[in-house]
Amino acid sequence: MNYILHLLIMIGIYMILSYGLNLVVGFGGLLSLCHAVFYGIGAYACTLLMMKCGLPFLPAILLTILITGICALIVGFPALRFRGDSFVIVTLGFQMIVFTVLYNWVDLTRGPYGIPGIPRPVIAGYEFTTLPEYLIIVWTFLILIAVVLFIIYKSPFGLALKALRDNEMAAEGLGKSPVHLFLYAFVISGMTASVAGGLYATYVTYIDPTSFTLDESIFLLTVLLVGGTGNRIGPFVGTVFMILLPEALRFLGMPDAVAANARQMIYGLTLILLMFFRPQGIAGKYMVR
Amino acid sequence: MTLLLQLILNGIVNAAIYSLLAVGFGLVYRSLRFFYIAFGAVYIVASYAVFALANMAGLPLLVSIILGLLIGAISGVVMDKSVYLPLEKRSASTGVLFIASLGIYILVVNLVALFFGNEVKILSMGIEPSFSIGTLVVTRMQVVQFFVGWIVVIGFWFIIRKNNLMKGIWAMGETPDLVVVLGLPYKFMRMLVFALSSVFAGIASLLTALDVGIDPHVGMHALLTGAVAVLVGGVDVYRGWIGGAVLLAVLQSIAVWQFSARWNDLITFGILIITLLFRPQGLFSPKRRREER
Amino acid sequence: MRTEGLKIKNLSKAMNGLKIVDRVTATFLPGRITALVGPNGAGKTTLFHLITGELKPDMGEIFYRKKKIAGLPPYKVARNGIGRLFQDVRVFENLTVFENVASACYSERSETPWFPFLHIKGLRSFNRDIADRVMFWLEFGGLADLKDTPASSLSYGQQKILAITRIMAAGFSILLLDEPTAGLNPVMIKRVLNILKKIIKEDKSKTIVLVEHNMSVVTEVADWVYFMNEGRISFFGRTDHVLGDQEVREIYLGL
Ligand SMILES: Nc1ncnc2c1ncn2[C@@H]1O[C@H](COP(=O)(O)OP(=O)(O)OP(=O)(O)O)[C@@H](O)[C@H]1O
Ligand SMILES: [Mg+2]
Repeated sequence: MNYILHLLIMIGIYMILSYGLNLVVGFGGLLSLCHAVFYGIGAYACTLLMMKCGLPFLPAILLTILITGICALIVGFPALRFRGDSFVIVTLGFQMIVFTVLYNWVDLTRGPYGIPGIPRPVIAGYEFTTLPEYLIIVWTFLILIAVVLFIIYKSPFGLALKALRDNEMAAEGLGKSPVHLFLYAFVISGMTASVAGGLYATYVTYIDPTSFTLDESIFLLTVLLVGGTGNRIGPFVGTVFMILLPEALRFLGMPDAVAANARQMIYGLTLILLMFFRPQGIAGKYMVR
Repeated sequence: MTLLLQLILNGIVNAAIYSLLAVGFGLVYRSLRFFYIAFGAVYIVASYAVFALANMAGLPLLVSIILGLLIGAISGVVMDKSVYLPLEKRSASTGVLFIASLGIYILVVNLVALFFGNEVKILSMGIEPSFSIGTLVVTRMQVVQFFVGWIVVIGFWFIIRKNNLMKGIWAMGETPDLVVVLGLPYKFMRMLVFALSSVFAGIASLLTALDVGIDPHVGMHALLTGAVAVLVGGVDVYRGWIGGAVLLAVLQSIAVWQFSARWNDLITFGILIITLLFRPQGLFSPKRRREER
Repeated sequence: MRTEGLKIKNLSKAMNGLKIVDRVTATFLPGRITALVGPNGAGKTTLFHLITGELKPDMGEIFYRKKKIAGLPPYKVARNGIGRLFQDVRVFENLTVFENVASACYSERSETPWFPFLHIKGLRSFNRDIADRVMFWLEFGGLADLKDTPASSLSYGQQKILAITRIMAAGFSILLLDEPTAGLNPVMIKRVLNILKKIIKEDKSKTIVLVEHNMSVVTEVADWVYFMNEGRISFFGRTDHVLGDQEVREIYLGL
């Protein structure tokens, strides 16, 4: 039972991440390899605000969103001058840089030692500690964020992003500013990821930089591409598939030592097969460029 | 002062290996114009092949190395034939190729890890002898890295300067259709590109692995080093690839001197982003990018 | 009514050492269809690129409504009221016909991410207004039956009509049309020409600049013609006049 609750919590956190990333990848058509950066900044910012500044959970999360939004602005402004491969590479560069900072700025982040003993969220005097309680808080945030994102997906802004994705020159010729629109999308996507970061940190109560590596960014992109981008169902399908797949392997009785590699191999194989047979993802319509 | 000189010396040795990586990555990136992530997979294949042949099967080291490079080359060509070429035939976008390439990388790395384990494997036994020049110290392996690396990279430069086939490969990156129209052997050239790229990766990999050993996850770093060198130096000129590699190696050494090796990635990717922003064609490339989108 | 139009002065652009557009001076007036003709490679598309800001001119100025617009980024040029049909059409392939047109109807303000949250109450009527406008323009272009079709599955001719409808819906007052009839069958050409005539008849403030290789199309709809060759404007005059000129016929038609 606990095991299932744990899985549901992780699915909730990853759904927040992939719905946010969807705005940049699915709507904007830009393959970003630094989503884990904002996930990580969110986790660290929330943790430090709670532990060093003694803020309660909700104000800490709000400030975290703000801080991460500013970081996304700083990263996005130069990165969004690029398209295609160059954009992927520049975001990858930022991913490596931010990881290096998280890892080596020991005074702030304790670097490789990580930060243990992160307090659980307390909201209106009520502490969320048990798994069912935590499930409620994660999914509440998920629903809130999903509602906001769905409104954005459906808004004129969402349509403008899709227009830019399909043909940037034509969309710009209709008066849409790629710089502004892509930057908005990038910042919103970073902000939602930071909420996932804060939830993750207070859930596992211990963070270190290795949770926010390039591999994690690649995984997040994979989740989205497997599910399908640019719509509302894709991120859900991708998250459920990618999180439950390794668990299914465990039930097949694979030893743990082998299971990690076998799981990764299946991810790799999935990506290749997907690009051959369904480049738009399981539940997607739009094909990556 | 001695420390700085020592670090610069290390930088020059590293530059030889970085150049190999840059040429390996650049060959595919320049001629086929897609971001070849599986380069990181090819990189580890050669070293693990040598490990299996020499340390497990007990073949002589030299024979193992030659066979290992061959296996690396074959693996590169097989990847192309089984994934990239078919995808390209469906006129897949660069994004699709990128993701497929990522898939191959993940698959191969974990396949290798499944067989050989995730921990570091040591290829050579014993303590490396070292020499001192004045106050500076070099190990025998560093001497080998320096000479093998630079001879291969510079030798290759002489070959492509003289050889028509290589000009054809260069033309592939400009106008792929033209190659077919001109009746050049597109498939053969493509195979050659992947084989050569894999050999460069293999040499770099072995030079490193014989020194410090290998684990399945170092390929990504090798790939990124090669890619950054090419992009910083300039995709369109061979001397740019080498220039980028040397610059990267020397700057990393200086960074080690000033700060600490832990900040190396910050330097590497900082340079990359700054170059792409302010000189997108690369530092050593004279040509400006086309204006129109 | 003040007739201002689009004025181009001494516009030049060189690429790879070649002068693609060479000191071009021209005026395009409202209420008219002005054709820009010339052989392949004359620099017509490049001139459009310069006007819409895809390329920055080396020299010269572009005036529109007393404003200098040369060198502005494309989206700012568009917001000044200058729209363009690209030679390679460029519809939004993954969007439906309806969405293609809708994307042209939204104002800059409504395309901010916070817009729906600030206008939760009025959102429904806002959407209805937009839908009405989109349908109006789809009727105008004769595409109403296809409104839910993805743009990628339209025929080439339908895509061109969609692209023209899109810039009409956006309300541009200057329309730069790069070969609207190229590659279309006679029936489609007829439809496109009818749309153009309708535009100019219904709204005298619209300026249409037409790049065209098909001479019968030019004679049918254009009032004035600029003849462009090797980057320069070499002739300007009434349509029959320019097309009747011996030198033009030699350069262009090989007669
Ligand atoms: N990005 C570029 N770099 C260099 N030269 C270019 C570039 N774009 C166009 N040209 C050259 O500029 C010249 C004019 O091209 P342009 O597309 O403006 O011609 P055009 O009059 O529109 O021809 P067409 O009738 O075939 O459409 C051509 O010779 C072309 O080769
Ligand atoms: Mg043209």
